[in-house]
Amino acid sequence: MKILVISVTGLLIGFTAPAATAQQEPVISDANAGAQLYYDHGCYACHGYSGYGRVDLNNTGSPWLVNEEIFRAFLRARADVAPVLPSTSMPNYPANALSDEGVNDIFAYIRSLPNNQPDSADIPALRTILESAEQREYKP
Amino acid sequence: MSSKKPEQPKDPSATTVDRRGFLKGAATGAAALAVTPVARAQEPSAYRASFTAPSYQQMQRDAGLVELPAPDSRGVVRPGSDLMVQALKEMGIEFVASNNGSSFEGIQESIANYGSPPNHMPEFITALHEESSVDMANGYAKAEGRPMAVMLHGTLGIQHASMSIFQAYNTGTPMLLIVGRDVGFIQAHTADDMAAMCRSFTKWDAQPTTLSECIDTLHEAYRQAVTPPTGPAMVVIDIELQKEEAQDFDLPRFRPAVIEGVDTATAKDIAEKLLNASNPRLETGMFRTPKGIGAAVELAELIGASTSTTSTGGPMGFPQRHPLCGPGAESNYDYVLGLEADASDLSLKRPIVNSLTAQRDVMGIGFGSLREDYAPAPPGSEPTPLDRSPRQPQGTVLKVDAQASIPLIIGELSRLITPAKQREIEQRKARHARTNRETFLTALRVAVEEKKKGWDLSPVSTARIYAELWPLIMNEDWCLASPSNFSGAHHRELWEHNKPYSFLGTQGAGGMGYGPGACVGAALAARSRGRFVVNVQPDGDLNYSPGALWTAVHHELPMLTVMHNNRAWHQEYMFLQYLAGVRGRGTDRGHIGCVLRDPFIDYSKMAQAYGMDSEGPIENPALLTAALDRGVRSVKNGKPYLIDVVTQPR
Ligand SMILES: Cc1ncc(C[n+]2csc(CCOP(=O)(O)OP(=O)(O)O)c2C)c(N)n1
Ligand SMILES: [Mg+2]
Repeated sequence: MKILVISVTGLLIGFTAPAATAQQEPVISDANAGAQLYYDHGCYACHGYSGYGRVDLNNTGSPWLVNEEIFRAFLRARADVAPVLPSTSMPNYPANALSDEGVNDIFAYIRSLPNNQPDSADIPALRTILESAEQREYKP
Repeated sequence: MSSKKPEQPKDPSATTVDRRGFLKGAATGAAALAVTPVARAQEPSAYRASFTAPSYQQMQRDAGLVELPAPDSRGVVRPGSDLMVQALKEMGIEFVASNNGSSFEGIQESIANYGSPPNHMPEFITALHEESSVDMANGYAKAEGRPMAVMLHGTLGIQHASMSIFQAYNTGTPMLLIVGRDVGFIQAHTADDMAAMCRSFTKWDAQPTTLSECIDTLHEAYRQAVTPPTGPAMVVIDIELQKEEAQDFDLPRFRPAVIEGVDTATAKDIAEKLLNASNPRLETGMFRTPKGIGAAVELAELIGASTSTTSTGGPMGFPQRHPLCGPGAESNYDYVLGLEADASDLSLKRPIVNSLTAQRDVMGIGFGSLREDYAPAPPGSEPTPLDRSPRQPQGTVLKVDAQASIPLIIGELSRLITPAKQREIEQRKARHARTNRETFLTALRVAVEEKKKGWDLSPVSTARIYAELWPLIMNEDWCLASPSNFSGAHHRELWEHNKPYSFLGTQGAGGMGYGPGACVGAALAARSRGRFVVNVQPDGDLNYSPGALWTAVHHELPMLTVMHNNRAWHQEYMFLQYLAGVRGRGTDRGHIGCVLRDPFIDYSKMAQAYGMDSEGPIENPALLTAALDRGVRSVKNGKPYLIDVVTQPR
């Protein structure tokens, strides 16, 4: 576990967003309780009410969302190991403010978020935007 | 019922005459000042009032015992304020936005009644707050590249207006601020040198002491406002001057500002370098007026240079979909000329307001954004990656107005271009056009895939608002007047910004409450020009200045407001939540003071209270297009409209 924490910290320090899509392990905790915590702790502030926002959470295949342990280590690393790490503006979540159980529930909620990205060909507005840009000639 | 009138002083006009006498006395040397108002304005006001007792008439008025003159008697036949209004007319001032105040009642009455038939230009625009009135002038000038006027009531009006004057100064927006001064009325409303309250963030001010000087200073204020460094200029006008009999005073003719460009030798040198380059490049920024854009387009077409643009980030930028706009066929530029933008070889950049700090910030306030070593970007001028050519080292910078310089460069070029060169240029233009078109379409395809995320989810995604709006307005002559940084700025990737006023950029100093007034100002410009103003309105921002909605209804302005209602001052929420986390005290109380819930505010009802047609709150994204369509139709029928949309936070 310690090794894991350190390696996550290393990732944060180096700002290296892990690129590879990691194998996601099954969810165990309570997504409903997690939804409330996601709201109360303002996760939606940056990640949207549905996981789309400044930083997307939906089905991103992020290695930090592989399982509860990694996710917890990720949240704790900044707060409990090195609170003033170079910031990505992601707040710190120390154990005294958000219990392990709470973290697990939030994890379950994040993993339950629906993927909503319809085919752009099925969205009239986006289709019109593309078609008109192709057809339109510049007029002063 | 008998009413006993208070006893009149023997000579009821004596007090007035004395005060007027004092004014005249204080104006000793005013003749010289009138000739050189510039020099005068840089010093604190020459005129220092003494606090004279209120006149008999003023006390009567305070006590509500005003005796109106008999209907057929006209004390003054040709009031000074008529001439002031005539001067504004001759300078082309279309609008005077104001929240009323007796210190400028002379001018207000002249705006209403001067002339036969009574005056209609400048039109008096009724504002519910001085901050909004200045924002209106800001939005108007950003859209048109020229000033309108604002009238402020003494010390109070200036203080209410001060943040928006500060914002306009930060963006170098030209405007004419007229402040009424009445030393004999409520003492708290007057001061010796009111303009000093915002001298550090106005370009120029004056306090004339005679009618003749007043007209001169109005003219000079206009010239100062539009001459680089452009910015707000203020004239404080005594009520006495507004009310005095002008008799046969001859109104001097307005001389427009003369703005210098580069000298002929430099113009020739630039022309030769552009011509000798095999792949010349123009980096373009925010021009002063639409004319500057026209000149830049002409230059780009003449020389066949690819160009960058700031039109997705602010007003007065090079048209985004002009065939030459984009990276061009090859990026091995061998001569890069900056026109109000940085460039690796030579930049022509007009001076900006921070060059005035030493002169204007006499109190040494030291505003962060106005330090001389700090160059504020023009409003939202950061180009998108699409528009920007690879970062280049900064070349020589000439502090000169690009707009005034381009015609000289074009003149030289026209003489130098040979038929052989012309053929080469035409071929280059065709190559650039093909690549630029492809670059635009490729970026658009990528953007569309990004914008569809969470398309059907509730609350509504900010991208969906911009995406659904565009097909409804793309064939209109539209203007996005609200800042878009809090609502995702999705127009930058989805819409096409080809007009000087396509997007009016940011607040100037990040001051909230700017949006509603600025949009009304843009809509004032739009009303007679068949234009359509879009306001994507964050909730926090609206709550500082909701009264601007009433102005939009009252003056029948073409303005569609779509709420970005995330029910929070969300930017601050994110900051606070982060700090709470850093302090290790938990993030579940970070909303305190940052959210607009318990109760939610009903913006549709708010709009209705101001007389504006509206609907919402819309939480289901499937209902959005039809609502937007109703909104667009209402605005096209001359009625502003508001749609409350409950949105994702960002
Ligand atoms: C006059 C003023 N007061 C306070 C602030 C601090 N401030 C910056 S952003 C912001 C919140 C803006 O809320 P809103 O307009 O609803 O946009 P949102 O962030 O919610 O999208 C505040 C209060 C400011 N910039 N200006
Ligand atoms: Mg908000």
